[in-house]
Amino acid sequence: MGYELREHTADVAVEATGATLDAVFGAVADGLAAAMCDEIPDDGERFDLDVRAENREALLFDYLDELIYERDVRGVLPVEHQATVAETGDGTWTCEASARGVRLSAVDARDVKAVTYSEMALEATADGWRAYVVFDV
Amino acid sequence: MTTFDADGITLEKVRDYVWEIPQEGGMNAPARVLASEALLEEIQQDKALQQLKNSAHLPGVRKHAICMPDGHQGYGFPVGGVAGIDAEDGCISPGAIGYDINCGVRMMTTNLSYTDLQGREEELVENLFSNVPSGLGGGGVVQVDGDGIEAILERGMDWALEEGWAVEDDLAHCEDEGYRPEANAQKVSKKAKDRGANQVGSLGSGNHFLEVQRVTDVFREDVGEAFGLEEDQIVVLIHCGSRGLGHQVCTDYLRDIEQAHQGMLNQLPDKELAAAPAGSQLAEDYYEAMCAAINFAWVNRQLIMHRTRQVFERVFDRDWQAMEMDLLYDVAHNIGKKEVHTVEGGEERELFVHRKGATRAFPAGRPEVPAAYGDVGQPIIIPGSMGAGSYVLRGGERSLEETFGSTAHGAGRLMSRTQAKNEFWGEDVRDDLREQNEIYVKAQSGATIAEEAPGVYKDVDEVVRVSDALGIGDKVARTYPVCNIKG
Repeated sequence: MGYELREHTADVAVEATGATLDAVFGAVADGLAAAMCDEIPDDGERFDLDVRAENREALLFDYLDELIYERDVRGVLPVEHQATVAETGDGTWTCEASARGVRLSAVDARDVKAVTYSEMALEATADGWRAYVVFDV
Repeated sequence: MTTFDADGITLEKVRDYVWEIPQEGGMNAPARVLASEALLEEIQQDKALQQLKNSAHLPGVRKHAICMPDGHQGYGFPVGGVAGIDAEDGCISPGAIGYDINCGVRMMTTNLSYTDLQGREEELVENLFSNVPSGLGGGGVVQVDGDGIEAILERGMDWALEEGWAVEDDLAHCEDEGYRPEANAQKVSKKAKDRGANQVGSLGSGNHFLEVQRVTDVFREDVGEAFGLEEDQIVVLIHCGSRGLGHQVCTDYLRDIEQAHQGMLNQLPDKELAAAPAGSQLAEDYYEAMCAAINFAWVNRQLIMHRTRQVFERVFDRDWQAMEMDLLYDVAHNIGKKEVHTVEGGEERELFVHRKGATRAFPAGRPEVPAAYGDVGQPIIIPGSMGAGSYVLRGGERSLEETFGSTAHGAGRLMSRTQAKNEFWGEDVRDDLREQNEIYVKAQSGATIAEEAPGVYKDVDEVVRVSDALGIGDKVARTYPVCNIKG
């Protein structure tokens, strides 16, 4: 359980697994951080974010997009992700999440431009959940 | 008939360098790959051909969806992809234009020769690296407020001129004179503007860079003269795009279109190709927002060029005007534009020409070509890797017929970033380039140098040879790196 960075000619792909939806969302986000930075220091304040969307896949997309946005406006690399995913019953999915924000000036990091839907997978497996996400670099 | 089998996809040879995937299933037109057999062998190694077939499913695609000689797998649409889609009964697809709206390249000429620069490479690369913002969180040349962002989005290079970041001549030598009049800042989200506010005048990272180069060859003397290029001359190449602002515009509209136009999405094999039908409110809104992001990218490259002029002034102790540091041209290679082209049956139609990793390549006579190049065709700048040459081409006579007036945009990647980091070590690549090639490289991240090592790219010479042979972009000059900075 966790994430792996996968081969992609131009961009970068993250494959993640988790026992629960919460875990797999957090693992993809940890993979996004790893795609940007190899060595992550221990400092930085945690911050919260809430995302809602019309289905599970869209929620994962919007969650990752929100992390990229927060990175740019806060000037931090979001790491050590925690996510709680729920369906509200009216067809809306929510993700209440938090991350530790490491100042970009303190790390040797590269840009990831955006999350994409290309080849995106979010599926139940015998052991829990698997996700595959391609990011534009 | 000669065919090429690529893992379940059969391409039929139409003539030299032109291969066709016949229309089948949900495709609305055939697809074409413009490549030599050597390049086709490389193109078929990833999912580029499947993505090309997928793009031919977009409603209203005219003639054929096309993959340029430097094509490779992207997201949704292949990088190196061109599609001319009917602006009346077709659609527009943000993902087929790309997140980095108006990612592009500009080249600035100088009257310096390579010998003027030799011995000062280290000083120059250090000064450029210290003064041109790059990397993640590196800020921009200028921090603007909300009104500033609105003005950049609405007025593009006109804003830069008014604020003293540009001179008139810069605008005259930029695609569309650095300004898309259809731009509407109100169609750009606050999130996008927030991301752009501190990134005006910044390279970013990935494959973006600023490079001081020397001209090694001029292949067409008359065109070289019109472009102001001669052998041994120093030029500067700047490659970057619309930064977080453009990325957010694409993301926002991709999601809005996904929700509003599910019916069209259901006809498409890849969700990343989500498209708004021509004439719909979202098609109009996205086009206006994209044009605003185009303006932002032109300002971004302009501010980096302005800063580069200042660095040269300091290093060479002369005014930039005395060094004749003039903009040769600025071209976009991730862009969607309304253009009129001749389609099937000789009919003239207005199209949304989607170019993703492809450069406009209009020949002489096309009204969009700036007056300075009206007789020779527009300049096209093809950046190579940091260990290989780059090229300047001019719009070829056959580009309008073959490619909606387009050609390649670079060498094209061959190797993934993860594999590159396993095979190369940034410091070794940097040291080898300096010792063996006299190329001075400085980057925020050693990993970026490894990911962008010369060995991860296709052979740019072959890409340009095919473009020239097809008559879509004619070879004018070759340049070679001297100093390179990147994020």
